[in-house]
Amino acid sequence: MTTPMLERQINFLDYTLSSLWRKRYKNIAVVLVFAAVIFLLASFQLVSNGLLERAQTALVMAPEILIQKMVAGRQESIPVAYAERLQGIFGIRQVTPRVWGYYFDEVTLANYTVIGRDQVAGGSDDQLTQVLADGRLPAAVGETVLGQAVFRTKGLQDQRVFSLFRPDLSLKTLTITGLFKKESNLLTDDLIVLSLADSRDLFGLPPGLASDLMVSVANPREIGTVAKKIAAALPGTRVLTRPQIEKTYHMIFGWRSGFASVCLLAALAAFFILSWDKASGLAPEERREIAILKILGWQTADVLLVRFFEGAVVSGGAYLLGCTAAYIHVVFFGSSLFLPVLAGWSVIRPDLHLVPAIHLADLLLLFCFTVMPYLAATVVPAWRCASLPSATALQGG
Amino acid sequence: MLIELEAITKIYNQGQANEVQALTDVSLRVATGSMLCLRGASGSGKSTLLGIIGCVFPPTSGRAAIAGKQLARLPDRFLTLHRRETIGFIFQRFNLLPSLTVLDNITLPLLPMGVGPRERKLRAQALLAQFDIQHREKFPAGQISGGELQRVAIARALIHDPPIILADEPTAHLDSRLSREFMAIMDRLKASGKTIVLASHDPLVTDHPGLDQIMDIRDGRLHVP
Ligand SMILES: Nc1ncnc2c1ncn2[C@@H]1O[C@H](COP(=O)(O)OP(=O)(O)OP(=O)(O)O)[C@@H](O)[C@H]1O
Ligand SMILES: [Mg+2]
Repeated sequence: MTTPMLERQINFLDYTLSSLWRKRYKNIAVVLVFAAVIFLLASFQLVSNGLLERAQTALVMAPEILIQKMVAGRQESIPVAYAERLQGIFGIRQVTPRVWGYYFDEVTLANYTVIGRDQVAGGSDDQLTQVLADGRLPAAVGETVLGQAVFRTKGLQDQRVFSLFRPDLSLKTLTITGLFKKESNLLTDDLIVLSLADSRDLFGLPPGLASDLMVSVANPREIGTVAKKIAAALPGTRVLTRPQIEKTYHMIFGWRSGFASVCLLAALAAFFILSWDKASGLAPEERREIAILKILGWQTADVLLVRFFEGAVVSGGAYLLGCTAAYIHVVFFGSSLFLPVLAGWSVIRPDLHLVPAIHLADLLLLFCFTVMPYLAATVVPAWRCASLPSATALQGG
Repeated sequence: MLIELEAITKIYNQGQANEVQALTDVSLRVATGSMLCLRGASGSGKSTLLGIIGCVFPPTSGRAAIAGKQLARLPDRFLTLHRRETIGFIFQRFNLLPSLTVLDNITLPLLPMGVGPRERKLRAQALLAQFDIQHREKFPAGQISGGELQRVAIARALIHDPPIILADEPTAHLDSRLSREFMAIMDRLKASGKTIVLASHDPLVTDHPGLDQIMDIRDGRLHVP
């Protein structure tokens, strides 16, 4: 005997939707609570992925060894002349001074990252050159290379020249010699690269000073030893190695996200308890409905299919709703709910604004931890009830 | 013979402490187009016997052939398929789903058969008209009167046009006027060729002139009066 498969499925879906509709207030409430949990989890995931991506791009730009001058526990400008005191240390390939800082543009209300450095053969310019879309890095005073976001927000179309304000509000004019790639790492998006002299001029920094000194070593395995020698040679400085910087990033990240995870786990646990409560006992009306359907010729599988559709519509709807809300929250509202929790990051990058990084694997993970248990909680108890013989419907009712 | 039972026993919870022998050595034959009444006190096994005739569960032992199919040892899946094609049930408390509309209640047996919505509606409306309750089509089943409920329950038993109609104490919750009306409908169904088995101890049913056969059931055994 053949029953048309597709029509059967449509009938069951139809039945599911109309029974969801009959209990619409309850179901909408469930979807909203469920969506809120998924929203929290998904925005957290998006934010932390965005942060991780940021950390990684920052690390790409990090030199092997970084020397900062410390005064009273705070970082201050470092004299370029310190480099001469390192000449005797074996294993150092090069020492290059760097200026970096943030430039707040009053006109566009945007924060730009400014890096001033001089072109040195074999220096850190190699990394920047790789992400250059066209043109060349600034080789002389008065030249600059911009990130795409700077180019866009300043409204530069075909102009090759643009200006920034010095602290005394006089204009400093620069010629654009190149742009960074659109698709390159996020860090270059708001970047302005200048010559050392121009950056000092822009920030009003006296000649002979830099923000930090970047040291490249001949053999990466010697980073640790070289750093120790530098620290001995330059008391009053902080010597950071790339592995250390990496560790710091991961530690801050790990602690912050660990704390947030605990909070989210609590929310998830509450949700599980809720759905378990739903799962542990079918209401008497539900049992009665299943018994009636079965005696009227519904197979156990038919009853379960309806329950499955029901769970899928509720949890799938909540999942889509929660993920979409999380995306909007992160993209359009700057993940305002989460940044306070992850505020440690603003120390590293005060201008932190995240482009959400969507990872399919994370979405799947989230799916497995939310939609799957909900489906199980709706289908399993019905399965236990529906696979019993339908005799109960016979007994008067 | 549409219904043939031979030496049927039914034991609930076999081998357990709460074992109940509900039917013992029941043999029964019902011809197509006839009306049979099973008469017995509460707990005598009427519902159990209707369950076996209605392909709800197989007998523990004995041979049962319903509409040409041997039931013994048939897995639940196939029992359900066979029940879907051959049996229309009318229950003591009607067993309607109170939040569903009358129309949706009546068409429940058609959903797993893959009958589309338009066809379902047409068939249901024909039956509603036949029983004079068209005006209740869109009412939730929880909001109609007892007499209407009873007719909705009959309509649901007929919607898939089964050859056998089973009714378990159908008049237990009806007053005598509705009970007579119910038996009149049974007469009409019998006249249209349906085979009907009723279980009851209500004299309005057991003394009904339209019955072809009446059997007493006591402690799970059948007796011909
Ligand atoms: N699912 C079941 N599990 C265990 N025992 C059962 C089950 N169903 C019925 N019984 C027992 O089997 C016997 C026959 O029950 P059945 O329901 O067939 O009687 P009945 O004549 O329909 O009674 P009533 O008039 O009360 O409906 C009773 O002793 C009853 O307790
Ligand atoms: Mg009974």
